[in-house]
Amino acid sequence: MSDFCLPFGPQHPALVEPLHLKLVVEGEKVVDYEFKFGYSHRGIEKSLEKRQWIKDIFLAERICGICSHSHTLAFTRGIEALADIQVAERAEYIRVVMAELERLHSHTLNLAVSFHEIGFATVFQYMFRDRELVMELLEMVSGNRVNYGMNLPGGVRRDIEPSKIKEILEKLAKLEGRIDYYTKLIEKDNLVRKRTESTGMLSKKKAIELGATGPVKRASGISEDFRKAGYGAYGKISFYTVTEKGCDVHSRFLVRIRECAAAINLIREAIKDMPSGPIINKTPPVINIEKGKETVSRVEAQRGELIYYMRSDGLTPYRVKIKTPTYANYLPLGECLKESLISDVPVIVASMDPCITCADRVTVVRNGKETIVRKDDLKKM
Amino acid sequence: MFWEAFSVVVFPGLLAAVFIGFLYEGIMRKVTARMQHRRGPPIWQPFLDWIKTMTKENITPKAGSGFLMTLCPIVAFASAVMAVMFVPIAGFPSIGFEGNTFVFLYFLFQSVVFFAISGFATGNPYGIVGSIREIMQIISYELPFVISVITIGLFSSFTVKPFIVFTFPFAFIGFILGVMGKLGIAPFHIPEAEQEIIEGALTEYTGARLGMFQLAKAALLWVSVSAAAVMLLGGGNLIIFLIKSLIILFILTFLSNIFARMRIDHAFRFYWFALVPLVLIDLVRAFLGIW
Repeated sequence: MSDFCLPFGPQHPALVEPLHLKLVVEGEKVVDYEFKFGYSHRGIEKSLEKRQWIKDIFLAERICGICSHSHTLAFTRGIEALADIQVAERAEYIRVVMAELERLHSHTLNLAVSFHEIGFATVFQYMFRDRELVMELLEMVSGNRVNYGMNLPGGVRRDIEPSKIKEILEKLAKLEGRIDYYTKLIEKDNLVRKRTESTGMLSKKKAIELGATGPVKRASGISEDFRKAGYGAYGKISFYTVTEKGCDVHSRFLVRIRECAAAINLIREAIKDMPSGPIINKTPPVINIEKGKETVSRVEAQRGELIYYMRSDGLTPYRVKIKTPTYANYLPLGECLKESLISDVPVIVASMDPCITCADRVTVVRNGKETIVRKDDLKKM
Repeated sequence: MFWEAFSVVVFPGLLAAVFIGFLYEGIMRKVTARMQHRRGPPIWQPFLDWIKTMTKENITPKAGSGFLMTLCPIVAFASAVMAVMFVPIAGFPSIGFEGNTFVFLYFLFQSVVFFAISGFATGNPYGIVGSIREIMQIISYELPFVISVITIGLFSSFTVKPFIVFTFPFAFIGFILGVMGKLGIAPFHIPEAEQEIIEGALTEYTGARLGMFQLAKAALLWVSVSAAAVMLLGGGNLIIFLIKSLIILFILTFLSNIFARMRIDHAFRFYWFALVPLVLIDLVRAFLGIW
């Protein structure tokens, strides 16, 4: 019986994206597992090297449909650091509003999917309905429901006018009531708690060892959030991080829903403090950066810390290395799957909020040898 | 003789099991959709689904047994239709003899057991896990369900006494929850949890075989709802019966929409350690004649 293998993916109703999980099960219990990736590699990192800086922003946006603003934010911040471009002050606040709206829509999406995984179709539908409020706001501000195209070096492309601010505040008030309702539901509902409490345990020690990031890490009792470093306008807005001590799927649910409430607060603060002035310091359309100059740009995306390493080759990047938060959360996911039940696998995977396509990379194998870049090589660069 | 034949073929037998079963399924889907703030499919959607399914080809997987895969849906459907013949609906002839309640229970049981076997017959890993879960679920809900039915049988001899709800509330709860387990609707849709094991036992089924299973499901819904209406809410003429069965259908739909899915071990613990003591109270009361 112990070699009974249950394939989970790459095509599976619980997964939107192709991840292959081979589960060796005994009855309902998972005794062993194996990951397999690489079903949706797109070669975007390489394509980034072929385009000019400004065009790259819009390509980087297409890495992920959910955290598209975070990707452009990280990339533009990198360009700004490389080319010493001053950002318009109002633009920093607009970027915060966009990032937090995106966090709202990402977290509600993930929670809805998580509820779907534990077979709670009603809440899934409700959350998708309420998520429309955020989507409408994003569409109103940027003109698009996904891939907002807001960021440019030096600022943003669209302003948030007073009439839009009024509508944003109205819809957020409506959404806040719904978020309160879901918080209560997650805290109180008996069956939801039974399904999620003490499933997918990731202890504080393991979370640090395996390098978990984002809500997963914060649900294991570690208060770590790159927004605390105060990049952009985050340093000027009062802001709090959410942590939970449960280390299980339930606390990940709670962290996400409380971060939604925190995001609503942040948007309100940002709108209140928003200075007037231009939204962009115009830069020439072709940016030329000194060859060999390099930088690391970090932002806190919805799923965790997003890291861009960039090195210039004049008009184009020489190399862009992207580390998405999902990549950091693969090892913790394996840890969570140990000793779990088949019925808990989907919700554990969903609680990690994986974005598999964003994290697919290719290793070059030449003459049967893998080429690996070591730490020393990195230092030499 | 005419009415006997009529009751076997038309109402409450074969045709009613198919048509009203599908119609009830459609109503369930519509009510669910409205509860979830969706528009939902038209209530005749299950018919359309069924017609489309029947036109598709039959595929037998290499590891599967074609004979068993054909047998299972037919027996499951036939058993469910047989079971409905024991339910006395609105004066239509039904099979009545000493101990018919147990034969009724047996046919209901046989129908779901063939659902369980169907997964093993395919040899698909999801099917096998689904079948194991189905069997565990049968073990879980059958005890409180049977106790509730016996309680009601002792009280009313399976026919006319109205409104068991107020006399034996726990037996009522036990019956409804047992039916929910039998039909596999939320929170007990464990054997066919699509996020975990795709369609459970029915993963590999296609074409006419799947169509037969859809018929069996519809017949099972019809027999469960009509038995619940007659046994729990009492008799009456055809119109009253249909209203009562719609009430039962609404209760089932409402309950299925306000819970997350249970885990199989939780479901077992819930049925045996929470529900069985409650229904036993009512059984003892019925046995001693206290009501």
